[in-house]
Amino acid sequence: MRLSAQQEALERYLATGDSAIPPGLLEQIQGSNTLPATDGLMIYHNAYRARLLGVMREDFPALHRWMGDESFEQLALAYISAWPPRHFSLRWLGEKLPEFIRGYVAEPQRSPMLELATLEWTFTLAFDAPDAVPLSLDVMGGFSADDWVSLRACLIPSVCWLQLQHNTVDMWKSAKAEIGIPDAVVLSAPMNCLVWRHKLVCQYRTLEPSEASALRLLTDGGSFASMCEYLLSTHGEQSPLQAAIWLKSWISDGLLVRTCRIGTSDTIFLN
Amino acid sequence: MSKSNMLGFGLGLRSEYYQQILEQRPAVDWFEIISENYMVGGGKALYFLDAIKEQYPLVMHGVSLSIGGPHEIDADYLRQLKNLADRVQPRWVADHLCWSRGSAHQLHDLLPLPFTQESLLHVASRVRLVQDILQRPLVLENVSAYVQWKTSCMSESQFLAELSSLTGCEILLDVNNVYVSSRNQGFDPWQFIMELPRERIRQIHLAGHSDYGHYLIDTHDQPIAGPVWALYGEALNYLGATATLIERDDHFPPFDELLAELSKARSISAKVLGAAAPCV
Ligand SMILES: [Fe+2]
Repeated sequence: MRLSAQQEALERYLATGDSAIPPGLLEQIQGSNTLPATDGLMIYHNAYRARLLGVMREDFPALHRWMGDESFEQLALAYISAWPPRHFSLRWLGEKLPEFIRGYVAEPQRSPMLELATLEWTFTLAFDAPDAVPLSLDVMGGFSADDWVSLRACLIPSVCWLQLQHNTVDMWKSAKAEIGIPDAVVLSAPMNCLVWRHKLVCQYRTLEPSEASALRLLTDGGSFASMCEYLLSTHGEQSPLQAAIWLKSWISDGLLVRTCRIGTSDTIFLN
Repeated sequence: MSKSNMLGFGLGLRSEYYQQILEQRPAVDWFEIISENYMVGGGKALYFLDAIKEQYPLVMHGVSLSIGGPHEIDADYLRQLKNLADRVQPRWVADHLCWSRGSAHQLHDLLPLPFTQESLLHVASRVRLVQDILQRPLVLENVSAYVQWKTSCMSESQFLAELSSLTGCEILLDVNNVYVSSRNQGFDPWQFIMELPRERIRQIHLAGHSDYGHYLIDTHDQPIAGPVWALYGEALNYLGATATLIERDDHFPPFDELLAELSKARSISAKVLGAAAPCV
């Protein structure tokens, strides 16, 4: 048997869930007195699944806790056979789990599971997303009146912005605190949740609808002045103050990078 | 190969110890990184990598090159490996003599090759390609194996020797892997080492394994076993001073325990080589 055929036989055996060793593979393998061929092959077969399951448990600890060992393992094994690892790094193994859940799980579990898996995956993404130097309060302290009027900013690269229909954040928090996880319930209004990395540590926060709209307006290219204007209808005279309070908290959370628009398309990062 | 650049005694760099390494500057001569852990956009791993590389020499050790695989060499992987090497400026770049990817799947394991002429030509052409891109010799490590292919017509060490003479690649001798495979397959570990061309051994690995009675598994989650220490001493007697690294990948002990194992490696080396052959 040629090298490529030998490798294909072992690959097929490892990647299928079936632990029965195909005779065509077994006859290629030399065992020893202490470790027969069948036992040696089983070591590789078990190690493949154990390694991938270990990564899934590590990347989706809240989902694991919520579902319990048996159901999570069943889901993870079904996922792995549908989406076997394609990337050289196991860091990307769980990337398609939310997508898989969408097709594999029925309601009413589907939506909350999908959200919890998505929330957990965004933490994985934030953890090693590209670095950026966020706008700091120090820089903001030196702003001139013109700087304020023209200030434009965008979100740092690690930010994931989620709109959650369920009490997913509460479920995730309970799982993380290792206390009883509440039942999944649908919220009366969708919840905006940001996940990002600040000073090497992953962070999350939820936003009230008005704050979310203001942040969206600013980071979609609006200026600070336009944000104040937008808040006039809800905050009246207090709108510049409210805008400044929010801006300060976004900046202390390390969420923003200052941008300056030149012409129509070029964006330059100033700090 | 000149051993004048002998690095001394190092440890695998693991995130569990990042903070302690920066704060305490432990007496470790060098660190070895798992290359794939740093092929990311940003964040903690790259932050500590940049800080630690200012303080210690580094070596890159990969697990995903799949030098013996049936697939094309992954161009994206090679590009990232080269970029990382440019950033880290490692003393050398290593991976394993194995395949870890099939034609359809990443198998994320260090799978054994049949040691045949066909494999030798296949691996040699890929080693040359990787060396051309990295612009440096590749260092390849013997792996722990739980099966052998019946078609093999030479030992793993003979294969490494041939490969090295064909391509100029260098060898990372993992003494624990030799011991684990020798117990599992019933060969003489000492003969394995003697078949290696000593002038091409760039580095040694030491690690712990799990003993299941009639077979061993290479788990890197235990202290180094007595027979592996003994084999290390014999290997040094044959090789002379050789850069030595202790790998630990699970059940992470307090850092001091790893430093104590490193001291043991130093003293074995000093004893075997005597005062005439300083190690550092
Ligand atoms: Fe090793």
